[in-house]
Amino acid sequence: MSVSAVAPRRKRLSEGLTVTQKVFVRSRNGGATKIVREHYLRSDIPCLSRSCTKCQDIVVPDAQNNLPKFVLSESPQVLPKPIGKHYVVLDTNIVLQAIDLLENPDCFFDVIVPQIVLDEVRNRSYPVYTRLRTLCRDSDDKKRFVVFHNEFSENTFVERKKDETINDRNDRAIRKTCKWYANHLKEYGISVILVTNDRLNRNAATSDDDIITKSLFQYVDLLPNSNEIKDLIPNLEAANEANTKEEDKEDISEFNFSEYYPTARIMGGLKNGVLYQGNIQISEYNFLEGSVSIPGFSKPVLIVGEKNLNRAFNGDQVVIELLPQTEWKAPSTIALDSEHFNVNDNPDAQDEDEPSNATSIISDTQRRLLAKDAIQAQKAKKVQPTARVVAIPRRSWRQYVGQIAPNSVDLQTGGTQNVFVILMDKCLPKIRIRTRRAKELLDKRIVISVDSWPTTHKYPLGHFVRDLGGIETAQAETEALLLEHDVEYRPFSKKVLECLPAEGHEWKAPEVLTDPVEIAKDPLLVRRKDLRDKLICSIDPPGCVDIDDALHAKRLPNGNWEVGVHIADVTHFVKPGTALDAEGASRGTSVYLVDKRIDMLPMLLGTDLCSLKPYVDRFAFSVLWELDENADIVNVDFTKSVIKSREAFSYEQAQLRIDDASQTDDLTQGMRALLQLSIKLKQKRLDAGALNLASPEVKVHMDSETSDPGEVEIKKLLATNSLVEEFMLLANISVARKIYDAFPQTAMLRRHAAPPSTNFELLNEMLHQRKNMSISLESSKALADSLDRCEDPKDPYFNTLVRIMSTRCMMAAQYFYSGAYSYPDFKHYGLAVDIYTHFTSPIRRFCDVVAHRQLAGAIGYEPLDLSHRDKNKMDMICRNINRKHRNAQFAGRASIEYYVGQVMRNNESTETGYVIKVFNNGIVVLVPKFGVEGLIRLENLTNDSNGAHFDEVEFKLTFTQKDSGKERVIYVFDKVEVQVKSVLDPVTSKRKAELLLK
Amino acid sequence: MSRLEIYSPEGLRLDGRRWNELRRFECSINTHSHASDGSSYLEQGNNKVITLVKGPKEPTLRSQMDTEKAILKISVNITQFSKFERSKSSHKNERRVLEMQTALIRTFEKNVMLNIYPRTLIDIEVHVLQQDGGIMGSLINGITLALIDAGIAMYDYISGVSIGLYDTTPLLDVNSLEENAMSSVTLGVVGKSEKLSLLLVEDKIPLDRLETVLAIGIAGAHRVRDLMDEELRKHAEKRVANASSK
Repeated sequence: MSVSAVAPRRKRLSEGLTVTQKVFVRSRNGGATKIVREHYLRSDIPCLSRSCTKCQDIVVPDAQNNLPKFVLSESPQVLPKPIGKHYVVLDTNIVLQAIDLLENPDCFFDVIVPQIVLDEVRNRSYPVYTRLRTLCRDSDDKKRFVVFHNEFSENTFVERKKDETINDRNDRAIRKTCKWYANHLKEYGISVILVTNDRLNRNAATSDDDIITKSLFQYVDLLPNSNEIKDLIPNLEAANEANTKEEDKEDISEFNFSEYYPTARIMGGLKNGVLYQGNIQISEYNFLEGSVSIPGFSKPVLIVGEKNLNRAFNGDQVVIELLPQTEWKAPSTIALDSEHFNVNDNPDAQDEDEPSNATSIISDTQRRLLAKDAIQAQKAKKVQPTARVVAIPRRSWRQYVGQIAPNSVDLQTGGTQNVFVILMDKCLPKIRIRTRRAKELLDKRIVISVDSWPTTHKYPLGHFVRDLGGIETAQAETEALLLEHDVEYRPFSKKVLECLPAEGHEWKAPEVLTDPVEIAKDPLLVRRKDLRDKLICSIDPPGCVDIDDALHAKRLPNGNWEVGVHIADVTHFVKPGTALDAEGASRGTSVYLVDKRIDMLPMLLGTDLCSLKPYVDRFAFSVLWELDENADIVNVDFTKSVIKSREAFSYEQAQLRIDDASQTDDLTQGMRALLQLSIKLKQKRLDAGALNLASPEVKVHMDSETSDPGEVEIKKLLATNSLVEEFMLLANISVARKIYDAFPQTAMLRRHAAPPSTNFELLNEMLHQRKNMSISLESSKALADSLDRCEDPKDPYFNTLVRIMSTRCMMAAQYFYSGAYSYPDFKHYGLAVDIYTHFTSPIRRFCDVVAHRQLAGAIGYEPLDLSHRDKNKMDMICRNINRKHRNAQFAGRASIEYYVGQVMRNNESTETGYVIKVFNNGIVVLVPKFGVEGLIRLENLTNDSNGAHFDEVEFKLTFTQKDSGKERVIYVFDKVEVQVKSVLDPVTSKRKAELLLK
Repeated sequence: MSRLEIYSPEGLRLDGRRWNELRRFECSINTHSHASDGSSYLEQGNNKVITLVKGPKEPTLRSQMDTEKAILKISVNITQFSKFERSKSSHKNERRVLEMQTALIRTFEKNVMLNIYPRTLIDIEVHVLQQDGGIMGSLINGITLALIDAGIAMYDYISGVSIGLYDTTPLLDVNSLEENAMSSVTLGVVGKSEKLSLLLVEDKIPLDRLETVLAIGIAGAHRVRDLMDEELRKHAEKRVANASSK
């Protein structure tokens, strides 16, 4: 944008309404366009202060006929003289840097957010904008945040002057707002403080306009409870004016990242194809190596080393520049994690007198590693292009959980000190924070937030947010992992709970569907089918309370089978556009942890009203097929219904009942028929090429009394598991076809892309080298068959191992709306079907809720809400549930991992493991019994690290054994005996399975 | 996804209007008295429209003639410079423009007393100099004014306005930013009645919301009618004063 030379004229339309023109120049695709927009200025924008008597008269109601609420208190917080009672006006930089602090319940009351600040925040960071908006909406009595539309108020609108930058103009607008407020509230004895970290703005405010202005630090310092809050102030070197003196010194410091390129250069570079943009993914095994997938490159581009990564965090959107070909190399074969790297770095290094000392050590270690790497790369001819990061358009920074590195704390001196926080996510660097409470936080899990990473700092700067509790307490660990995986776990808000039926647990399905009283209450009742006469039962894992699905089968007079799948009718209770719907959509899925379940929908629905419990009438959405003896579909019908489940079985109970020949009642007969049909369905699916993959999943048994984890068990499958699964798949496929037919552009579907062959390259090479086997990727059928052939006659587990490893090479399945891809790309590779959706678990997945609504629309039960017919809205829903689904899976796995660690803490044992990866300096071993895998470092294998030899072609590591001194060779896929014990890492305080080779 | 705050929780729209406020509305008639029998110039927000009415006159082609009533012909010329970015094509035979013309003819056919001008042609040209959303409403208003200026008999004013629906809130007189972000309808209202001579619904709108949308639309159209009426009377007074002073 640039400036308009002529000040636009204003025109008075009526009393209190003036129109002017906003003129600016926008550049797009290299050309410049002059944009002229109307801009109306009004005099009816209230100050929203309760003490104000004037503004009460000018307010006008909105479209719903509500008047604006006056929120700002008449007796706001009092600060020491000469300020007294005060309101706060925020500048954009404060919101962006310290949104956590603004949300803190102990400070920042009666805050005015000028509209221009809100706009700037929205352009800079949408998540922060939503948080600020929520704060303004929900903070009526406690925090009292208001938005003041200064741009639309006649009194505060400022025109851009000639040659004034847009930022200067906006700063001036904020100052004008402050000034107006100050004058407006003078007679009520309330002063206004502008809080900004922009020194120029502060200077201008004091010199020109006579406004009280403070930096964030100065403002917090004035507060009565400043001592508690100071730790929470974002750690920006620029903000800490005390540090300005030291700036010169830091410049001398040897360590310096290169500056990011200016925007203009990046735009040009991207356009010319010199620079590339993508999301960076830091290697799980080596935090100094990242990769960026770029369209047009067959393999991801590598980014190696701290300097090249140039302060990128895992998941950041980065712009990269390729390095000369001489620097290309293969991915490193060294495992390296940030926790154990440079453990002895001093967090205060940069503030001390001899910073060069620490840095020289670093560069040496690093140089050694790099040199080693380079040699490796030369040996193998698998070089990959490398690149360096030149800019980071979008940071993925959020709040992180970690703990203070004990050796970075100086226990002798009290007061504020710099300490390192090591994050749970091992792909991230440690964070430097300033805190006064280092000592008390030492053994706690804490939440921190990252503020900045100046070029002169080796580590990013952050600040403390809150502490979760002691390390290894179940509560702190659970909360930590929920936070780490961005799972919303707070209880449902009042607004959400208000959407539930008023009857609560007393809610009952109507006895008679034709009852006029009931129909008056719910006119859609006449379209429901009464299926209470069907012999329906549900089969679920033991102890399941949210029963999504139930089944029945009945022989028809013509010899075919009528099979029904009945799914909890969640959408009867969750109507689109309600707060309940919004909450479900944002949670996306329920999250299952070992000791806890985080529900997507409130308990009342999930475990009672929607849950298809036995012996009671429940609303359901039914899919009814007519299947012939070969389980081919003759006919399919969808209807909303009322059902009454006769029994809720667990998998074992159902299996027993089916196997018990003495049971010959109709229900059991129906179940047997279902089993027979499901076997046929499964066979058909496998014939079509469905994959049978495996994951090293285990289950942790909890002691029912102490709720301590007891033992670990590998999940086992019964025939009844697959009975339920087959019919759920069938229902999902049938529904997918129906909703795609009705809504060809916006149907909610799920796809699973075929894996690119590059994913399997390494695995195939290992198999070929070691076992002379291979995995074919021509089609899913070929893949399934080749997986079947990967058998080692001596070791039955080998096949499972290969399946586990190939699962990791697969693409992730994803939710999408049908307009996003063309029909051939709908294919679900793993299930080998052309179209698929999720329909059968609406209590715990939001995709199913959408599918239910679309199916209801497709069968003419009720019209489909607009939001599910709009591509943009569907796109947002899909993106969100994909992300939440992935996070939920990770959270679940992390929970299991933690509890497995707790179990092993008590019983150390020797187990069988398999080598699944061989590195230059260690091997990765998977222990099926516990489902854990761990790195065994070379140091722990041998005393003579340098004598070890790594052969990348054969995937073998040769070394002299520690105890016996004999030479030992380890290949990938080797079956090894390992000693498993759980150790608490002294640096990270993370409990990990430690494996030692026997 | 557009990240504009179309309607803020405080009840203000992108350009600072409230939900039920019209844009700036200015009009004048008899602007091109030498080039036509009736003319008008209209600014509705940043929509700028010139309308010329020629006729009733003898049709150029005999085949066009109708012995019972006059023929109404409307041609819409959307200039290439009417938007921020100059369009490459003249919009002359675009399907969208042809549809607009047909819709306009239908809107006015019933309201102009065509039967008192048999065997004639009433030729209306509309030139869109600048557009900023809700253009159809502005065209209707411009044509109404020009027809009145030409002295062609009509039963009543027809005033046009577009209404958008943002979530559950109807927004009166949408501009182009709003028009692109949500679904909208255009109304042509006859005089101060609740009769619609045009209801143009090109996007999906939930049926249960349509009533509130129509209610605010009709109220807005009545306001537009009053503004036009005011201007016409002012103009007429001036003419009368001129005529009597001569």
